[in-house]
Amino acid sequence: MLEAHDVFKVYDTRGVETRALDGVSLEIEAGEFTALAGPSGSGKTTLLNLFGALDSATSGSIRLDGQELSELKPAELAHLRLHQLGFVFQAYNLIPVLTARENVEFVMELQGIPAAERRERSLAVLAEVGLADLEAKRPLEMSGGQQQRVAVARAIVTNPRLVLADEPTANLDSHTAERLLDLMEEMNREHGVTFLFSTHDPMVIEKARRVVRLRDGRIFADEARAA
Amino acid sequence: MPGDDGQPTEDGFFDLESRLAWRNVWRNPRRTGLTVAATVFAVFLLINMAAMSAGVHGKMIEDGVRIQSGHVQLSGEGYLEERTLERSLRLEPALARAVEETPGVVAMAPRLVAFGLLSKESATKGVGLFGVDPEREPTVSTLPERMVEGRFLPDDTERPIVLGERLAEHLGASLGDELLLFSVAYTLENAYDLFTVCGIMRLPDPQLDRSLAIIELGDAQAFFAYGDRVSEVAILAEQAGDVPTMVASLREAVAAGPDPTVEVHPWNEVMPELEQLIFIDAAGLYLMLAILVVVVGFGILNTILMSVLERKRELGVMLALGLRPRAIFRVVYKESMLLAAVGLVIGMALAVPFALWFQAHPIPLTGDAASATEAFGIEPVVTFLLEWVNIVGSSLTIFVVAALAALYPAIKASRARPVDALRSI
Repeated sequence: MLEAHDVFKVYDTRGVETRALDGVSLEIEAGEFTALAGPSGSGKTTLLNLFGALDSATSGSIRLDGQELSELKPAELAHLRLHQLGFVFQAYNLIPVLTARENVEFVMELQGIPAAERRERSLAVLAEVGLADLEAKRPLEMSGGQQQRVAVARAIVTNPRLVLADEPTANLDSHTAERLLDLMEEMNREHGVTFLFSTHDPMVIEKARRVVRLRDGRIFADEARAA
Repeated sequence: MPGDDGQPTEDGFFDLESRLAWRNVWRNPRRTGLTVAATVFAVFLLINMAAMSAGVHGKMIEDGVRIQSGHVQLSGEGYLEERTLERSLRLEPALARAVEETPGVVAMAPRLVAFGLLSKESATKGVGLFGVDPEREPTVSTLPERMVEGRFLPDDTERPIVLGERLAEHLGASLGDELLLFSVAYTLENAYDLFTVCGIMRLPDPQLDRSLAIIELGDAQAFFAYGDRVSEVAILAEQAGDVPTMVASLREAVAAGPDPTVEVHPWNEVMPELEQLIFIDAAGLYLMLAILVVVVGFGILNTILMSVLERKRELGVMLALGLRPRAIFRVVYKESMLLAAVGLVIGMALAVPFALWFQAHPIPLTGDAASATEAFGIEPVVTFLLEWVNIVGSSLTIFVVAALAALYPAIKASRARPVDALRSI
């Protein structure tokens, strides 16, 4: 489903070059529940951004279902993100002026799904993540855990093939983090949604069925675990 | 309605872009309130200053037209440059008929315009003389309505004369007094005769009030040995806006008439100094308003730019989720337009009744302000005239300024790369 081959990513900050990824090669199959683990600066978020078509590699190849991402134009990348990918960001990143339901509907609205269907699907997903009664709340009226659950609902409501989650539990207490992980695991199990996390949270690493460990921009371990 | 891929769709009354824009505008109510207040202030000033300008200038033109030139004037060849008795025309019946049949013409009045010395005992004053047709003059000018004493022409008195109030004061003349008029006739012989004061009028232009005397056209033609000639024919138009068409039609009619050398001039050619005065006054006003509008534009720019910079991460998220850059551009643009629209609506609600009230209730000036305006030959009254072009022009100005002010923030927002935005915190 997702392939990275010999990927390099170099940042140039005022003439100083930083090698964030140093020849990474990795394959992710459909239905995986995989964590990219490593300390800060190991390159896991950079790799996630490249997989999410949010950034481009300095060299190397990244393919999604055989399609080379570097060959796509910005509009095609936007189309791909809109229709095939779901994102959960570290800091929730909900749109503050929209309610929980409107945030969940946001991507569907961009996809051109009719209002009635959007409403039905968003309410169903909000119920699934346990927020049925908070549909009219705006992000600032919700706790961090609730916001992250809305973010998960937004990421999965369009049935994307792949959900990329960048440190999804970083700002949550352990109880909320565990509930959220259970929720995503359930989505993975029941709906076959592929999840790829970047994390250094031991709880996420423990729940993942595959852990790819990075250090200094390189993969140094790739562990598969029994379901 | 399904939208283009990555473009927000419509949902009820507001589409997603409009909803985002409207709610974003009110995220920082204090900042938005200040920007809206500045816009309201600008709209209020734009509309009312323009209304005052239109009112005052309109009155200046109307006074000039109804007292001196008429909307259009016929005169002999070269009269406008020399203004002497040698430059005359004859109002032949064919010409008079052609003028009367021209669309837009309400009335016309022939005049003999000359200069002379008017004396009463030891007081003498150089005066401008209007020889007017007592029947026709009231249909064109407002001179007969400006009487403060006595009556306008015709009068039973032999050789009656009407004086400006200040002129009468200068000469120490009152009703019934005999004045000696002295001048040079068309034949270059001395011309002098006694005229009896039958009326005193008050003219809005103080300079004119100090120097204008009116006699009957027949008396003037006899006094100056002018036969049936006249200096000019003042023509009143139905509407000031008809003047260019009327001038064109009259020029055609004159060319086909008995004397093709007769000249046709609109009021602004007859009174170029009035047109220039209005132009300079309007230029000063519009320069000031332009500065005000630019300041408001920077206010809107500041508000929108701050708002965009504060939302860098949020905009990045929307781009990451699949919103197209041009949709982000439109959202930011709509925010600017909404700010302008709110300011415009409130500004209009305050400005229009204000302007209409002063249109119905002109403000008379007194004291130094009155003296200052009189020095320019303007009646000391501030009048307002609210025109549609003012309202439409003010609205367009505010929207154009808002559109220009939003350009930079909107481009900046739409060019953001999602990954940079997500990394920015």
